[in-house]
Parts: sequence; C-alpha cells; structure tokens
Amino acid sequence: MYLLTLLAAALAIALIFIVPKRAKVWVATVLIAMAAIGAIALSAKTLLCGDLELASFTTSLFGKEHISVDGISALFLSIIAIASVATVLYSRGYVGGYLERYSSTHISLHYTALVLLVVSMMLVVVTSGGFSFLFSWELMTIASFILILFEAERQEVRRAALNYLVMMHIGFMFLVAGFVMLYNVTDSANFAAVECYFKVAAPLPLFMMLFIGFGMKAGLFPMHIWLPEAHPAAPSHVSAIMSGVMIKTGVYGILRLMQAIDNNIDLLYNIGLIVLLAGIITGIWGVIFAAMQNDVKRLLAYSSIENIGVILIGLGVAAVGHAAGSNLIGMCGMCGALLHIVNHSLFKTMLFFSAGNIYSKMHTTAMNQMGGLAKHMPVTAILMLFATVAICALPPLNGFVSELLIYIGMFNGVSDGHEVLYAVGGIIALSLIGGVVVLAFTKLYGIVFLGSPRSHHVAECTEVDSQRIAAMAIPAALILFVGLLPQLAIRPIALVAEAVTGGDSSLAVAQFTPMLTSLSCVGFILILVIALLFVMKYRAQLKRKIESGPTWGCGFTAPNTRMQYTGESFSEGLENVGRPLMKDMVDGRSVDKGEIFPSEHNYKVVHKDKVDSLLGQLWVKMMHNINGFVMRLRTGRVNNYITFALAFLFVVLILTMFGVL
Amino acid sequence: MLIKLLNTLLMLVVALSITGVINRTRAVLAGRKGIRFFQHVYNARLMLRKGAVYSPTTTALFRIAPCVYLGAAIVAFLFIPIADLEPVLSFHGDIVLVAYLLGLARVAIVLAALDTGSSFEGMGAAREALYGALVEPALMMGLATLALFCGYSSFAEIFSTAQELGPNVTIVMLLLAYVFLIIMIIESGRVPVDDPRTHLELTMIHEVMCLDYSGIDLAMINIAGWLKNAIWAVIAANAVSVALCFHWEFATPLAILGTGITIGCIESLRARNKLSHNTTYILTIVAMAALVLLTGFLLYQNIDI
Repeated sequence: MYLLTLLAAALAIALIFIVPKRAKVWVATVLIAMAAIGAIALSAKTLLCGDLELASFTTSLFGKEHISVDGISALFLSIIAIASVATVLYSRGYVGGYLERYSSTHISLHYTALVLLVVSMMLVVVTSGGFSFLFSWELMTIASFILILFEAERQEVRRAALNYLVMMHIGFMFLVAGFVMLYNVTDSANFAAVECYFKVAAPLPLFMMLFIGFGMKAGLFPMHIWLPEAHPAAPSHVSAIMSGVMIKTGVYGILRLMQAIDNNIDLLYNIGLIVLLAGIITGIWGVIFAAMQNDVKRLLAYSSIENIGVILIGLGVAAVGHAAGSNLIGMCGMCGALLHIVNHSLFKTMLFFSAGNIYSKMHTTAMNQMGGLAKHMPVTAILMLFATVAICALPPLNGFVSELLIYIGMFNGVSDGHEVLYAVGGIIALSLIGGVVVLAFTKLYGIVFLGSPRSHHVAECTEVDSQRIAAMAIPAALILFVGLLPQLAIRPIALVAEAVTGGDSSLAVAQFTPMLTSLSCVGFILILVIALLFVMKYRAQLKRKIESGPTWGCGFTAPNTRMQYTGESFSEGLENVGRPLMKDMVDGRSVDKGEIFPSEHNYKVVHKDKVDSLLGQLWVKMMHNINGFVMRLRTGRVNNYITFALAFLFVVLILTMFGVL
Repeated sequence: MLIKLLNTLLMLVVALSITGVINRTRAVLAGRKGIRFFQHVYNARLMLRKGAVYSPTTTALFRIAPCVYLGAAIVAFLFIPIADLEPVLSFHGDIVLVAYLLGLARVAIVLAALDTGSSFEGMGAAREALYGALVEPALMMGLATLALFCGYSSFAEIFSTAQELGPNVTIVMLLLAYVFLIIMIIESGRVPVDDPRTHLELTMIHEVMCLDYSGIDLAMINIAGWLKNAIWAVIAANAVSVALCFHWEFATPLAILGTGITIGCIESLRARNKLSHNTTYILTIVAMAALVLLTGFLLYQNIDI
C-alpha cells in the first residue's frame, strides 16, 4: 500500500509539468503529503506491532533484496515526513518570489526534484541494502543536486552544486566498493549480511569503507567541506531539508553498521572508539568554524556539521557503553543520539526557514549588512529565537534533553569507572561544543535581529506570508513537545535504540522516566519563575516613571550604526584561538595604513577551512606535476617527435611479436 | 522539608554575605574603615524602587532578558545543597542542568547587550560569550572529578556522601575547590579577569553589558549575580567538605569566609590581567582542571604517584 503510494507519487510528478506555474506547488504538496501520511502511518504501525516486510525481489546485480520497515526505518520515516511537509509548505512563499523570473520548466524541475528527493530518502531508509539501496541513494544525490541548482545563473551556485556532485560520487564509490566486498564474501549485499561478514572476515576494512561512504553524506570531518558551500547556494527550504534530514541518511547507514555488530564485544568497542573520536573531531571543528562565519547560511551549515558530531559522540558512547557491559550507559548514549537526530531535524529546518525569510527580504545572507530585523520581521524573530535557544541545547527546550542523555551516559561512565578517560574526552568535547555554540548563535541572532540596521535595506523588510510562518510552526510545536514533555518522547526512541545495539529498553525507560519527569517539572518551574518575575516587574513599573532615551554612548555624541559590533568583531577572540585551523579568502583590498582620507574600498573576507584548501591544493598539485611531466615531452623539435613515433611503432612491433596485441 | 528550608535559608545567607565579606576584606587590607556590610543590599533595594530608561533601539527582548537571567539563576540556585543538606530540587543528572541553566542566563544577557546596538556592550557580550565557552570544559571536568569520587551525578547525592578519602584525595579536592573558585571569578568578571570597580566603560566584560540597564532591571541582574556567586562558592566549599567530612555548620562559614576573603585578597593584591591574556588565563584553568581530573583518576585506580 505504502509502496504503491510512493510509486504513484513518483509517477504523478508528470502532472507538475502540465499544470500552470502557480499550481505546481500544490501538486507537489499533495504528492509529498500523500507520501508523508503513508510514512507516518507505517512508522506508527511498526512501532506498535513490530517489523513489517513490504516487498521482496531479486536483482541481477546483488541477488535477493527486500523492502521492510523496522524501528530505525520508522524513526527516519517520521522525521523525513515531518520535515518534507514543512519544506513543501514553506516552498510556496519562497519560490513565489522567483515565478516571474524563471520559466515554467525551471519551476517544474525544481518541484519534481523535491518530490523525488522525498521519495528517494524514504526509499533509502526502507530498502534492505544492495542495488535498491544504492539506486535510491544515487537518486537522492541527483535530486538534491538539481535542487541546489535552482539559482543556476549565479556562478557560485553552479560551482557549489558541481562540488557537491563530485564529493557525493567519491562517497558513492566507497559505498559501491563496500557493498561489492560484502557481496564477495557473503553472496548478499543486504545490511543483514554485514553481521555475517563481520564474523567470517576482518571487519574493520569493510566498516571503514562504508563509514567513509556514509560519512561523506553526513559531513564527517574531513569530508564536511561540501556542506558550507552547498547550503549558501541552495534555496533555503532545500537547505532545510538537506541539512535537517538528508545528511542524517549518512547517520542512518552508520546505525545499520552498528546494528550488525552482534555480541562481538571487541569489535563493538573498537568501532565505538572510532565513532566517538570522529564525533569529537567533527563536533569541535564544526562549531569553531560556525562561530567564525559571517554568512547566515554558512554558519548554519557548519552548525549542522557540529550536530552530526554530537550525534556521533552519542553513538560512540552507546557502543563503548554496551561493550563495557553497561545497559544504562549504552541506552543513554543511543537514546541521546537518536533523540538528537530528531531534535536537530526540527530546529535546523526552522533555522534555515528563518534564514530563507531573511534572504527573501534582504536578498543577501551577509550578516554584517543586517541588524535590527526584529522590528521589521517580529514573528520570524520570535520563531528564530526559539530555534536558537533549542540549538544552544538550553533548558527548557528539546536540544537540552538529548545532550543531557548523552552527558548522563558519560557521567555514569565516569562514576562507575567504565572507560573513564574516553568518557571524560566526550565530556570535554561536548561541553566545549555547548559553550562555543552559544557564542555562534548569540552572534547570529544578535547581529541579524538586534541592534540598529547596518544597511538601508533593512528598513524595506516586511514580515513574510503566513504560510511560511505556518510551515515554521510545525517544527516549533514539536520542539516544545519534546522539550517540555521528554518523558513521553523517550518511549518510542528507547524502542528504536533497542533495535540498534540491543540492551533492555523497558529497563532504560524505567530509569529515564523519573529523571525526565523531573526535568519536565523543572522546565515548567523555570517558565513559571520567569513569567512571575516579568509580571512583578511589569506591575511595579506601571507606577514608576519609564523614560525613553538613546543608548548610552559613553559620552560620544555622534555615534552611527556602522560603529556597532559586527559579526567579525564578535568572534574576534575565538578567531585568535582558531587562527591555525583556517585560511582566509580575501576579496578586494583593505584600507592602507598610509591612507589618511580613505577612498571607497570593497573588502570581503571568508574564513575557510584549511582542510578545504588542503584537499583542493592536493588535486591541483597532482595535476600540475602530471602536466609538468607531459610538458617535458613537448620539446618543439621535429626530430624528437619522429623518435617518439618510431618508439611507438617499435613498442607495437614488440608487443605483436609476443602476441599481446 | 525543614532541611530543605534550612538549606535555602543558608544559601541565601551565603548569597547576601559574600559581596560584603569581599568589600570588608579589601577595606581592611587597604587600611580603610569600609562601607557597611550590607551596603550592596541597600543599593539593590534602592534600585528596585526606581523607574527606568529604555533605549528606542531595544526590543521587548531587552525587557524580558533580566527576568530570564534572574529566573534561570534562581532555578539553578535551588539545586545546590550545602554539604550534606538537601536542596529543594534534585534529580539524577542535575549537575548538567545547572551548568546549562547558567548558560541560558548567559544567552539572555548577551542578547540583551547586543539589543542595545552599542559597541561597548557588544564588546562585553563577545567577551562574555567567549570566556563562557572556554570555561565550560573546566566546569564539566570539575564536576566529573566529583562524580568520579562520589559516584553519582546529582549534587545532592555527591555531597551527601561525606567520607574520609585519605590525604591524597584531600589534596585533589582542595585543588578542585581552587578550580571552582577561579571559575567563580571568571563567571562574575572579577580581578584578575576583569575589574568591576573601575569606571563602567573601563570594565570590559560583565558590567559593561548592563550599561543600559537601570532600576528594577539592574537590581535583578545584581541579585542574579549574588545567586550565581553563591552557587560557585558553595560548590567550592562542598568540595573541601566532602574530603574533610565537614557538615553544613562548617561548610556555610567556609563558603562565605573562604571565598570572600580569598577573592578580597586577590583583588587587593594583584592587578587586572591585560585583556588579551585572559584567554590564556582561562585555558590555564582548563588545563588545571584536566590535571586535577587526571590525578584524581590515577589515585582512584590506586596507581601510586
């Protein structure tokens, strides 16, 4: 039934091309809503009644494969469903601004790719592996490539999209190689066969092969460099769905690999360490660069990398905990990681939607052009503040719940004496991430929405249409639910966690429930205390004299808005610490020291990864060397060329004599 | 119930007296008579009765922020026990919650500072955010050391297990208390990280963020500052108490006098750091916390050092 829905959705995209421009979005909405309702129904059924098998078939390449839904698929199906509905609702307003500019085919292509992306993501999480998995994976890449290319007339968009396509295919190669390795040994390329492979052959080569392949999609260090390029280039709703759910399919693959480690304590331990280490590096790297960016969407892209790091830290804690024989630590880590997958998909979609609202009014994502937007776009400002508090993992919202679970897993590791040093490493990393993410997002929110306008475009901004606001309200409601009633949200998550690495979910739920109930009480108490304080202050101030006066400028009488702190200056302190990690791309010329009356200057600086330039430079250097060698043959003398031709003929002669040719 | 009440009352006493002790210590060391012991409380009462001036640049966030700042500090305050007393609120994992509640307070005040559009306050906000981020690992490592020896992850459970830990561990706990004391200095922006006594524009971190606040808002921010100080002071005193088997009747004066006099002496005897050295200073504390944790771990594993 569900598969038929997906098939129908995939076939009905032809309709998008037929209907008039304005109606295309509605066709896409209906198709995606159909798929989403099917997915939600299916995952609810799976969580209630157990695993379902939908279809099975034989492919000529990898043999028998099937399509089935278990706990992990159910979790991913639900987040894909929620995010895709919000995305397609949001897209109407966003794409509406481009209807005049682009041809009908262009718009159709965009919506076709959007529907295909949703369908392919759903297929990725229900197929059992092998050919059908790789097919949906590739379809997902191509659909997202077309989506990134929406504003194809901009050169940086084309570059970013191409960069994305190349990187994804390098990852794809690793996946194909991994599946072929698997098929060679076990005669099946399903994820279920990985377990068998781990028993009969050396497990780490296969694990690393697939880990790199999935890590490319997830944005693990050092394979993250496509994210900060692709997200600023893509339209905001596309960034939202890509960052919110598509990169999570990489995590999905890693979960499937972890699921295959059955009772092999040593392997579980080793893989746990690899994943934990990858998480720590990715998280810290991502968050430091997030804090240094001055472009709204680049900052959000780096923050996605950081959140993938947090998820991996959770997974690593889970694996090491289970290997050490502690159900509580294992379940804490796994539930924390899975809940963080859900949480991140919620607040990151919201943040990218807010970025889209800003971009569609300001026509730029450069933070230093903004300021004071809260007065012009109040609803966006409130919703963005909400998402900011959630992503900073602050109580009483949802980000805190998942990080708390991971922390508790690690603190239990410390207090029970299991793998203390690794647990401490995780604690240090997570606390550093938690601290710097506050810096990054107060910078983002403060520079964009607060203060005075830094350019005259701000004054022309108005609030966006209500449909876009409604699209943002969907994740907002879920953020509140998970944040304030975590004891209810944890139940399905614990069931899924049990499906990944085993352990006892009912025991874990019994241990978590009192803690999360107290947490939810504290959340309500916190809100109550703040509200009470505000009411008291408000009532007291009714009788007092409340004046309005300019911001205190310390006696300086002619301040102007350009003197405000900018994004660049806000993160200057961190830049001094993180200088060795980055490379600045400078565009234009700075004001010279000798210029007493400076003329007009154009100066743009982008803080890029060293990894980015290292990888880039590596290729360039290799090509350079190869070309240098070839150039040595091109001497320009005719006698040399005749010698080459003679040598060629001679080689051919020798080869024919030995019967090679 | 009565114990919880006693704990809250004692915590309040600690919160109200630390500033007085610091002021009195400084006065004595400088050979002055000094201001009244509770002068800061009178000042706050005075501010609570005043009106306010708001800049037209600011939004509603600026008016809500002090309430969030104080609210988060109050809730965090309710989790802290004095030695083996019982706090009002407690659950498994609250050590993380307290750290993140203080994070919420920080976000509120940083955003409020950016809301004014003033470059001074932006500067203060940037520094507060950076130092807060850098000090977070030190805090978590300190808490992890406590969890390592006491085996629990809620404040009430950690500090209720007063036990004779042997002279080696006592040294670790004393060092830990020192780390928490420095964290308190960094979080409240005191010498040597910053000097709150200078003229406001020269005070570069915490006080500069509140430049545009007046009246009730400023009083709220000051009260929240006392509560935060009390939290750090009591945790530091508790770390000592755990090792030396002190109960609340010793721990309370230790929290007030120990931290108050130490900070008073530091403020009298040394100058403020050059601001660019603060990052190094904070990272040194992080390194020290790591060292304390490592030493603690080796002792815990019975590896003789």
